[in-house]
Amino acid sequence: MALEEGGRVDFTRLRHERRRKLFDGMDAAGIEMLVLGRPANVRYASGARQLWRTGANLFAPLCVVIRRTEKVHLLSSWDEGVPAEIGHEDLYGLFWNPAHLIAALREIPGFVGAQRVGTDSLTPFFGRVLRDLVPALELVDAAPLLQRAQAHKTADEIAAIAVAVSLAEAGLSALEEALEPGITERALLGAYLGAIASLGAPTPPTESVVFATPRQGPVRFRYLASERTIEQGELVVLAPGAFYAGYEGGVARTRTAGAAPTPEARRLTIRCRGAIATLVGACRAGNTGADLYRAWESTGEPPAEVALANGVGLGTEAPVVGFGRGNDAPLEEGAVLSVQAWVSQEGTGGFLQRELVQIGEEGPRVLTRSERSERWAP
Amino acid sequence: MGEDWTEGATIGGLAVPTEPDMVRLRTDRHAKIQAQLESQDIDGLVLLGSGGVAYATGVDAPGEDSGRAGLFRSVAVVVRGESEPHVYTTYWDGVPDELSADHVHGPLFPDLHDGIDQFAKAIQGHVGAGARLGVDEQTHPMLEALDDYEWTDAGSVLGPAKIIKTPDEVSAIRAAQRLTEQAMESVRTALRPGLRQTDLSGIFLRRLFELGATANAIDPIWQVMTPTRAQGPWTIPGDLAFPTPTTDQILREGDVIWVDAGICHRGYASDFGRTWLVSDHPAPTERQASHFQRWRAVVDAARDMLEPGVSALELGQAAIEADNGHKPWLEHFYLAHGIGTDSAEMPLVGTDLGDSFDASLLMSPGMVLVFEPVIWDDGFAGYRSEDIVAVTDSGWVQLSGSRYDPFEVAP
Repeated sequence: MALEEGGRVDFTRLRHERRRKLFDGMDAAGIEMLVLGRPANVRYASGARQLWRTGANLFAPLCVVIRRTEKVHLLSSWDEGVPAEIGHEDLYGLFWNPAHLIAALREIPGFVGAQRVGTDSLTPFFGRVLRDLVPALELVDAAPLLQRAQAHKTADEIAAIAVAVSLAEAGLSALEEALEPGITERALLGAYLGAIASLGAPTPPTESVVFATPRQGPVRFRYLASERTIEQGELVVLAPGAFYAGYEGGVARTRTAGAAPTPEARRLTIRCRGAIATLVGACRAGNTGADLYRAWESTGEPPAEVALANGVGLGTEAPVVGFGRGNDAPLEEGAVLSVQAWVSQEGTGGFLQRELVQIGEEGPRVLTRSERSERWAP
Repeated sequence: MGEDWTEGATIGGLAVPTEPDMVRLRTDRHAKIQAQLESQDIDGLVLLGSGGVAYATGVDAPGEDSGRAGLFRSVAVVVRGESEPHVYTTYWDGVPDELSADHVHGPLFPDLHDGIDQFAKAIQGHVGAGARLGVDEQTHPMLEALDDYEWTDAGSVLGPAKIIKTPDEVSAIRAAQRLTEQAMESVRTALRPGLRQTDLSGIFLRRLFELGATANAIDPIWQVMTPTRAQGPWTIPGDLAFPTPTTDQILREGDVIWVDAGICHRGYASDFGRTWLVSDHPAPTERQASHFQRWRAVVDAARDMLEPGVSALELGQAAIEADNGHKPWLEHFYLAHGIGTDSAEMPLVGTDLGDSFDASLLMSPGMVLVFEPVIWDDGFAGYRSEDIVAVTDSGWVQLSGSRYDPFEVAP
């Protein structure tokens, strides 16, 4: 994002509104201090842009929010990427020696005196540290308040997601361009990563972006790009995503490699489009995950092999509707869901379609612009 | 003494293979975990973190943002006395072929309250209430649903197992490093003024996957080093800020960039560190060349004395002596760190854990060290690269490449 105009997002307002929601949530739950270790939560609270790593790293006290002082304290040895509202005095350093980390936490005004403390996860070690440091500790799960704050997206958050969707769609174009018989799945993945990086957004929500589906034998959803060469006429799943200012966008389409789709592939396409339309139609405020399961069942498709939906914001977030989870999860107005339909037919292959849907007052609003890719559609 | 890879360097009497035998590698890791469980009287492990799960089960996962990797995480359960680990995962295509079907299960979602009873039931199916279990992370739903176990830090089991690599693991790290270096060579030759940092990321990632890598691990760093420390970001210890995240800033003629990147190939991390010069005709000045010579001297001093039995403190002292009494590494980091299924793990040399810790950390065959000293010449930036070595039975072997273009070792 080279231009100062950026993505038409007011970042100062964005951060201010997020912090406000966090403090309101703390008030409602009577929580005096949050100790956060999940990168998305740290970003939500602090707005800091920090080094991106893949994978689920272990909990550590990366960010401390004190309700009384309205201060956000951040583990960062420098101020690069840290918003101005977090002062130098609010930063604490990276330590390998736990005794030094404990001493730094003790220095945070309000830490030791807190009572009701919310964390987004824990380790046995940090559980002991917290009990030692906070004599009157009442430990609670911060996830419910974080989820409530994060679910409803502000206008700036939606604007950021819209930019991320555009980047993901550019990634889709790059994938479509590079897709040809003879290329490996991994090389195709590389073409996508190269494309989003050259647009200034090099970190993918996931590298699970490309897989060819077989025309013989059982068809299963695959997660890992392989050295497998894509063959002419195969249905190939293309599921690119991207981040803008931490917010995730994503889309999935399925294309035939190097040929016009067969009549069987067209039938699969129609089945998938019908299923995704039914799912998107059920993304209404007041509904729950159970309504998505019912919508899927109504399509006549076999039980879904993948999640039907998950929340999207600063990356993947709750709810997860799939694998039997999320029946009671409310679909809240203002939330954004990644909704997907995966259908397969032995002898033909598989077909994935994924859309980003905002649950609006008036009903579902699709943020991915599927018409953009219609010219490529089978 | 440094030993030639091909001339019979051994770890525990075994030669380091050219290509890792991944089945043997996983079997050996499981045996090491079992030995620790036995000696520490721990009944099993429940692992949630990507590094620990990869180590204990060998399950491959796509490179993923932390949010997705967390919600859809794989979970490893290792039961003392069992011949194989259990894995609970959505990534069925990442499960090692040799793992028995009754040890491979569907996902558990320990981050959600919804369905946490299934998680509890799964654990109860492996070990009875009251058992002593090592765990690397405890979500609140887990804490609530599984309060009838004695939980202890899994690090006490994983730490001693992970710190010593088998010859296959050393080979796997070298393979990951080679792929990274090949992809980086494409970036270095494309580097010129006017490119953005993110353009370099794009070239690297595209090439990396063309070469067959299985996953990237971090957003590659191409930090432009300001000539003076004061021109760079403010830092708590007053030292250099490094590494700072990549942006789309445009690189200019004369920029000195510190490159730092790492991938995760077949579960093993690489770590590529070099100093590059942005120029149509990149050639170090005499002063810059001297920075490289100082860096080389520091690494050489530490490597030259590296053999089993040498302490981390002695390595650090040798490095300091080689830089005329100045500590040649960043205040918030280390002279060297280990690498394996995590990009930075034990052994750590020269951290704030202090001299007594370093004195007690003795080098052993199978330890892997990433040396990353930093030379700084305020007013003229500085030099940083990374050299990876594995400790062998009688010395060490180099796992990273020996080219430092555009810097050269003086003849």
